[in-house]
Amino acid sequence: MSLKQFFSGFKKGMKNFGQNIALIVNSALLSIVYFIGVGFTSIISKIVRKHFLDTKLSKKATYWHDLNLKKKPIEEYYRQF
Amino acid sequence: MSTYILGISCYYHDSSAALLKDGTIVAAAEEERFTRKKHDTSFPINAVSFCLESQGITIKDVDYIGFYEKPFLKLERVLSQHLEMFPYSLKTFLGSTPSWINEKLRVPRIIRKKLCYNKDILFIEHHLAHAASAYLLSPFKKSAILTVDGVGEWTTTAYGIGKGNDIHLIKEIMFPTSLGLIYSTITAYLGFSVNNSEYKVMGLSPYGNMNRKTNIYYQKLKKVVDVKEDGSYRFDMSYFIYHYADRMPSKKLCRLLGGPVRKPGEELTQRHKDIAAALQMVLEDVMTKILNHVHKVTKQDNIVLAGGVALNSVYNGKILRNTKFKKIWIQPDAGDGGTSMGVASYIYHTLLGKKREFVLKDAYLGPSYSTKHIKSFLDKNEIKYSEFKTREELLKTTAKLIYENNVIGWFQGGMEIGPRALGARSILSNACNPEMKEILNLKVKHREKFRPFAPVVCEDDALKYFDCDNPIPEATDFMLMVYPIKKQWRTKIPSVTHVDGSGRLQTIRRGQNPLYYDLIKEFGRLSGIPIIINTSFNIRGEPIVCTPYDTYKCMMGTGIDYLVMDNFLIKRDHNSRDIWDSEKYATD
Ligand SMILES: [Fe+2]
Repeated sequence: MSLKQFFSGFKKGMKNFGQNIALIVNSALLSIVYFIGVGFTSIISKIVRKHFLDTKLSKKATYWHDLNLKKKPIEEYYRQF
Repeated sequence: MSTYILGISCYYHDSSAALLKDGTIVAAAEEERFTRKKHDTSFPINAVSFCLESQGITIKDVDYIGFYEKPFLKLERVLSQHLEMFPYSLKTFLGSTPSWINEKLRVPRIIRKKLCYNKDILFIEHHLAHAASAYLLSPFKKSAILTVDGVGEWTTTAYGIGKGNDIHLIKEIMFPTSLGLIYSTITAYLGFSVNNSEYKVMGLSPYGNMNRKTNIYYQKLKKVVDVKEDGSYRFDMSYFIYHYADRMPSKKLCRLLGGPVRKPGEELTQRHKDIAAALQMVLEDVMTKILNHVHKVTKQDNIVLAGGVALNSVYNGKILRNTKFKKIWIQPDAGDGGTSMGVASYIYHTLLGKKREFVLKDAYLGPSYSTKHIKSFLDKNEIKYSEFKTREELLKTTAKLIYENNVIGWFQGGMEIGPRALGARSILSNACNPEMKEILNLKVKHREKFRPFAPVVCEDDALKYFDCDNPIPEATDFMLMVYPIKKQWRTKIPSVTHVDGSGRLQTIRRGQNPLYYDLIKEFGRLSGIPIIINTSFNIRGEPIVCTPYDTYKCMMGTGIDYLVMDNFLIKRDHNSRDIWDSEKYATD
């Protein structure tokens, strides 16, 4: 194995190592956000019986929701929401 | 001075860019064709570059950029999923949040940075972008509109009406209920890849029991979907986990369907085929109810469709027979790839109020290469070729080669937008040869045995061979309508006749592609039947070829016998394979 090959392998290994560390750190941080932020809000919502997805089957005549999406002033489209 | 609007779709699946000049879509392409990564989701930098270069303009000439969804509304839905499904959604939260932080919430910044752009960026709701791609590019001045896909921001199904330049989407079905997602769930259950192989399940369905009374899986799936008389529907979500996990079929759904998820490559049993049939029947039941309701509400004779479900050509071919609509139009890239054309058109016609004059009549909006460029490519790579002296020689020689059962690569003009090869990047062969399906599979395609090949026929000949709607809808030109092949012709064109006697035909009108049209006519003079097999020019698992390089590489790695590239004829056997072997890279 030449020195050049050794260094390129070493560089590649270090890059992978760095990526794996970043993945672990990110996952740990995101898990904290998930359990504290999402978890806390979710538990409170469950207590007050607030649902975020409408999944209940019903006897109502329709499942259509009003959308009423039509042309708005152009300024409305600069927004991402 | 001209008005240029650039439409962009990315970060979900099938990234694309489209350029509109004074109301005309002058260029459009999916990013996958350049990066060679199927269904590429990345920012379509190559597609944008192509669009601008094709018109000889720079980003400074672009007046508006339109994005195909409202990212914050989508984030609201994603967060709602996590909140509702805590703690089961941890894995998807960890998996998807980095891409939200790095890409999806930074769209304006990414667009400005990557394109060096400093003018207006407009964000159009996803289903409005679908609706615009269907209605504003259609020949209709008034039409009902139906959009059905996996999911946009919140909407999974929407209907409304288009009048003049305006679109009004009236009602919607919201996530997590989604016809697109149930189709993808069963696709995953049957061992095929999601957001890619739904059309394989559609192709598998005629092998199953298509009788609603005796197909037990149809009865079972009906329990999962509650459909009202007005076509609105909701799922019993206890059968699904896609709203919080990435493995789509749930244990409960597996129990309902009588077994575990089929592993890729595992034998397809009659049970799998019956499940595919049941799914197709459920989809058709719901769609027919929706369309009848849409007709009742909008009182329109015309219907335009968009969204991934509008690529279900088996059902599309039944719409005019099963509903009261009289005319139908679907654009060639009805999935998310086509929304870039939709947003650009919406900004120009609806928001800026500019007159509608353009109708999307063909799909050849991608890169094209000059004869000089191709000759230089061939010479530089020392590829052996011959040059046709006349157009007539090209037609006669190619038709004869097809008639003699050779497999022909056909590279002409601008690449197609959308998932189908329509005579610009196609592989052509003899539809009259009963062995041709096996030959094509052996030499090039290596597809599942159950999948038939598609026929192409000149529009003026189609009614002789196919039981099409009359007049033939333009959507048939984009291979989006499956029709029965007339009984007397089924044994004469066996390679393109599906097990139920249907064919997913492409009709071609001379004005769209004269060379391709004349080739089919020429073949008809030799064979007596002017129908050719047209399949996409790619190897398994790769996007359709784009450049002369991709094309030649694809031919040399497969068993394609000849390549007709522009005015040049290249025989595979005359050239050495060595570095051009693409087949070893094939995946599913
Ligand atoms: Fe969509």
